[in-house]
Order: sequence, then C-alpha cells, then structure tokens
Amino acid sequence: MKNFFKTYYTEFLREFSLVKGDMGILIFFLLLPIAYPIVYSLIYNPELVREVTVVVVDHDRTPLSRELTRRLDATEGIRSIGYATDLSDARKAMNSHEVYGILEIPEGFARSAGRGEQAEAVFYCEMSLLLRYRAILVSATNVMQDLGGTLTTERIDRIAPLAETIATGDLMPISNISMGNIESGFDSFVMPGILILILQQSLMLAIGMCGGALREHPLKGGAILGNGSIISSMMARMSVYLIISIIPAIYIMHYVPLMFRFPMEGNILQEFLFILPMIFSTIFLAFIFQAFVRERESVFVLWVVTSVIFLFLSGLTWPRYAMSSVWKFLSDCVPATWGVQGFIRMNTNGASLAQVRPDYINLWILTAVYAVGAYIVQRFIQRPAVRRAAAALQQADSEQTEAAPIKPDTSAQHR
Amino acid sequence: MCPFLQICKRSVLQLVRRPIYWVGIFLLPLFCFLMLASLMEEGLPIRTPAAVVDKDGSALSRQITQQLGGMQMVDITEMPNSFTQARHLMQEGKIFGFFLIPENFEADLLSGRAPQISFYTNTTYFVPASLLFKTFKATAMYAKAGVASEVISSVGFTSNPSAMLLPVNITTRGIGNPGLNYAIYLCVSFLPCVLQLMILLVTCFSLGQEIKYHTSVNLMQIARGSIVRALAGKLFPQTLIWIVLAVFLESWLFRWQGYPMHGSWWWMTLSQVLFVLASQGFALFCFGLLPNLRLSLSVCALLGILSFSVAAFSFPMQSMYGAIGIFSYIVPTRYNYLIYIDQALNGIDIYYSRWWFVAYFIFMVVPLAVLPRIKKAFLHPVYEP
Repeated sequence: MKNFFKTYYTEFLREFSLVKGDMGILIFFLLLPIAYPIVYSLIYNPELVREVTVVVVDHDRTPLSRELTRRLDATEGIRSIGYATDLSDARKAMNSHEVYGILEIPEGFARSAGRGEQAEAVFYCEMSLLLRYRAILVSATNVMQDLGGTLTTERIDRIAPLAETIATGDLMPISNISMGNIESGFDSFVMPGILILILQQSLMLAIGMCGGALREHPLKGGAILGNGSIISSMMARMSVYLIISIIPAIYIMHYVPLMFRFPMEGNILQEFLFILPMIFSTIFLAFIFQAFVRERESVFVLWVVTSVIFLFLSGLTWPRYAMSSVWKFLSDCVPATWGVQGFIRMNTNGASLAQVRPDYINLWILTAVYAVGAYIVQRFIQRPAVRRAAAALQQADSEQTEAAPIKPDTSAQHR
Repeated sequence: MCPFLQICKRSVLQLVRRPIYWVGIFLLPLFCFLMLASLMEEGLPIRTPAAVVDKDGSALSRQITQQLGGMQMVDITEMPNSFTQARHLMQEGKIFGFFLIPENFEADLLSGRAPQISFYTNTTYFVPASLLFKTFKATAMYAKAGVASEVISSVGFTSNPSAMLLPVNITTRGIGNPGLNYAIYLCVSFLPCVLQLMILLVTCFSLGQEIKYHTSVNLMQIARGSIVRALAGKLFPQTLIWIVLAVFLESWLFRWQGYPMHGSWWWMTLSQVLFVLASQGFALFCFGLLPNLRLSLSVCALLGILSFSVAAFSFPMQSMYGAIGIFSYIVPTRYNYLIYIDQALNGIDIYYSRWWFVAYFIFMVVPLAVLPRIKKAFLHPVYEP
C-alpha cells in the first residue's frame, strides 16, 4: 500500500512536469479549448439567415401581384433585388449567385383571385443550402397566409355576412412555440453540442500526445518503464489531467455560453456533475488510444478527423432515432455522444440531472468499460512499448559514442 | 534511375512501411465516406417521436390525433395528460415535440369561441424540430380547413372551398433536390472537406518526418540539391493516391449513391483532380511558412477542421460577419463545393464556374513563394518538439 502511494506521488510529479514542459501538449490542453469555441461561435453568431436575395418574374403586373412582391420583400427572410423580364433572365441572375430564389407570378394571377379561384405563384429555390431554402419557405408561407386572410375577409364580407367568424376572429388560432432554443438560431443550436465535443477532443489529443511523448523519451517513463503499479500510475496521471482541464471545462461550459448568449437553463453544478464521468471515460479512452500513438505528432493524422465522425454520431444533426443499429452502437460507444445529448438538454432545455439519468448512467458504464480497457492497454501494450523504446535508445547511445554524429533527441532537448 | 524516380520509389516505400499512412490515407477517409452516406441513407429522418396532449377527449380531438399519427414524419409515442408531463418527456429526450389540444376544444370550436391549438417543438434539435413543425402545422391547418369548409357550406356557399381558405398559393420548388434530401446536401460538401483535411495532415506529416528524423539531408542529396525535384518526387505518389480517392468519391456519390449530377462528368472530374493538387499546394504553403512538424500540423488541423464551418456548407457565407466570411475563400474545399453547386447540382454553363477553377491554380502556385524556406529547412533540419 505504501508503495502504491509512493508511485502515485512520483508519477503525479513526473506527468505534471512532462505536460508542463511540452508546448504541443499544453496547446491541446489549454489553447485549443479556449480558442476554438470563440472562433466557432463567431462563425455562426449571426444565428439566423436573413434577407435571402430573390428576383421576381411578374407576368401579371397587377396591383395584387405587386402587393405580393411587396409583402415578401418586407419579411425577415427575403429581399427582392428587382424584377427580371423572363425566367431565363432570372436564371442568369441565379447562375451568377446574385439571387437564391425566383418568384414567378403567372399571367392571370389577380384575375383568378378576383374570380374566387386559387391564385397560384411559384417560388424556385436554389438548393445548395437548406437554411436558405428554409428562410424562403417560412417567409413565403407566412405571406401566403397573411395575404390569403386579407382576400378571404374581402370575399366573405361581400357574400355571406353570417360567416363573419371565419373572417374577423380566426376560428381556430394555431400557435407554435419553440422550446429551448427559442429563436431557432443556428449558433445556439449547434454550439452547445460542439463545445462538449471540443472538450472531449482536446483531452483525447493531449493525452494521446502524452503517450507519444513517452515513447519518444522513454527514459522519462517512470512507473510505466519500471515496475510500479499501473493502476497507481493511471490514477496519478488522471489526477494531473483532471486538474489541468478544470479551467477549460468551466470556461467551455459556463463562460462561452455566457459570452455568446446561448441558452443557459441548466444548473451549472449539476452540469459539472454530469460531465465528470464523460471526462473520466474520455481519459480512459485516451489511455487506450495511446496504444496506437507511436510518436507525438501521430495524433494529428490519427485523431483530428474523428471530430467529424463524432459530430455526426452524437445525434446533434442527424438524430439518433434515425440511425441504423450499427451506427447507433458505434454512437453508444463514444463518451461525447452522451455528453452532448445530456448537456444540451440540461443547458438548453433546462433538464435536471435526474432527467438525464439514462445518459448519465451510460457515461458511468463507458467509464467502467474503458477503465478495464485502459488497464489492459497500459499494462500489455504501452509498458512493453516504452521498455522496447528505452532499450533501443540505450543501444543507440552506446553505438553513438563510437560513430554517428546526429543525435535527434538531444538536439530536441536544448531548444 | 533518374533522381525523380528514385525519390518516388523512396517515398512509396515510406508510405507502405508505416501503418499510420494506411490509416490516414485509406482507412479514415474511406470510413468517413461510408459512414456519412450510409448514416443518412433515408434522406430525411422519418418517424420523429412526438406526443399529443389531448385535454379534450372529444370525437374531434381524437380524430386530429389519429390524423397526426398517420403522418409520415411523426411517431406518436406518448400520450401525456398535461403540459408539464409533456415538457418533462421533452427534457428527458423521449419526444421532440408535442401537440396540445385544449379542454372543451370541440364545444368551443363549434360555438365559435375560437379555441387555440398549440404545438411545441424542441428546437434544441434542429432537424427533428423542423420536420415536426412542418407536420404539426399541416395537421392543424387541415383540421382548421375541415371545420371552416363545414361552416362555409352551412351558410350556403358552394364555391371551391380550397380557394376560399387559401386564395393565394405559393408553391416552393427546390431545384435539383426536390425531396430535401439531407444526405445530398451534406455529403457533397463534407466528404471533400474530409479529404482536404487528410491531404493537409498527411502532406505536412510526411514532409515534417523528413526534418524530424533528419532524413531530409539525404533526400536533398538524391535530388541533387533541387528542392523542386525533391518535393515533386516526395509528393507525386501521394498525389496519385489522392486523385484516385477523389475520383472514387465522385463516382461513389454521383454514380452509386445517385446524387444529382446535372452537368458534365468531365468538368467534375477535372475539379476533383485540381482540388487534390490545390489542397497539396495549400499544405505545402502552410509547411513552408512553418517548416516544423508540429506547428505546421497544428495549423493544418486548425484550418482543416475550421473549413467545415467557415467554407459555409451549412450556414451561408452571406449571413456571416464580413470579417469572418472572407476566410471562406482561403480554403480549397470551398471551390470544390462551389463547382459542385454549379456543375452537378444546377448543371449550368462552365462559364459561371471559371473563377473557381482559377482559384485552384492560385493554390498551386502560391507554395512557390515558400520553396526557399523549405529548402533551407531541409538542408539544415532542426526538430523542435
């Protein structure tokens, strides 16, 4: 037992000095979680897509068709930049990316409305971005109902004063309420999830790099190299990572939403309690990942792209209920999936810790599973690898005293 | 053997011998291709879990519930008794929205007291919320129309009821993607961006390795002191592999997945080939600015990941802040995306895409400016951790 604590103590100091002395690792631990959220939030910060430019092809040229154009232009989503003489002219404007929608009002538009028939118009949308399409669709639907209401009132007043209720008071008002992200802003939707993903990825990259650094400088290996307890060493290293990541975690979960006015409905203490097992399981997963990191810089090639994979697996954009079982299982295995799911519901929907219980339990299950995996990897892969590297280095050193002029590792140290 | 081929051979051996290149060049990109395309195979997530809070319990309210249950996009999984219960279900993530029918709904409606129907969507989840919104709104409108047409005919008005209820109808037509297929919209932009990210990382990694292990001196010797020859030989095998992957991606998306391809295959293929070269040029430029393994990889990882957002695949560049939106133009993948829109999605004349092709060439030329720096770093390699 005494040995256990001694290993813990020496390992703690050793790992701390390793992290402290390595710029690359520090950047992943601190700079990445501090800079990325700001850059990301700034990109999406305008939240809504407003004033999508459109052009109008008006074959009707009546007061009603002009009224329709005016009302569309007055909405938040659409800005009409003018009239085109015909569709092919309008197409040219769309092809050169001046407009993203064409409103075509056919001849006889006002006549049909006057006759009591349905007056039809067509909106052609460029489909490169769904958010643009959505802005046009919502605005067009609103105008359609609004202008329709005006026309219906006129008609009913003419024909049947008895049916007044339809015209004056809406006979069945429909209201829709957005919960959570009440403005339906894009930044407030996507960022809370991405923040948690950034937290996981910064830990994975940093700890992965720690593993690579150990293999490159095996003589600093400590308990891994010697015969110290692996469990104690893992606990010591975890403590170092936890202490270092406290500040980024607070910053990411509290200050970034504060700065960019994201919804903040949750109880911050409960949110921390919730995210704790995600951090644990991420650290264990990173210990497993160390098996594949032969040198410090490998983490870039091996891990950076997984951010994209995890983003889609997290169910933030493509919901989990629509995933096939294979992808769902893979999604289940990622700590950030449960972290994102739980955090956005707490942060944006104001759920309590009790209400995200399934996610919380899953995080603890992942923690347990990955802890076992981490022990196996550290014991049977990482330790032999570091020992091999150390042996190779010693051999090279003894040979170097005879001939070789270049010593990569020492040249690295005095910089 | 001429020096160029000698370097090519050396480079191929390096690629083959280290597993990290297999993972970075083949495994990860191909996994992403497969994942994104198959994850969203359905095009749209149908059957979103939702609830109905029916406080009325009348024939009419049950009819509305049934109608809602019959819609393609929703799956009525819960029937909570109160608003609070429904809200809790939403917070627990079991439902993504609910439809609220108030007490005495039928009686109020028939006696003209204008009861209000409300629906709530959880916009924390954007896609399910949008789909639920659409379905809920349509159902509410149909219900309203049904009642209204009864009222209208009861006062003896027999004209076309749909014209009465909706005198102006604006049909919205999405050109090129009429089914609003989410996969089409996402894969064509995100997958080339994945490819760009891996090209940036692998290029910088392979060049940085030469410096880290001081093999660049040897490389320069084989190249007889010419940095152009050294880099060309070093990167040429990679270029070939990337081009094969890029063209494979093109056929995977537009042929086998059947995404819209309304233009010329030749222009798209040319775009893919130039895209690979432009990405390599971009990586070379980053490496030349910071001829250091870790720093250049950091910059490439940063730019590569930010490309997914700043290249405006989901949030339009025109809506970003100007000072941010301008960065959209410094990444090659943006041009790949713009050419896809013009050539494949919209199938318009190549004339409109001319500047995007020019941009590719700029990315290829820019690294020439930093060649002397790379040469210096290769001749005097210093590894900074």
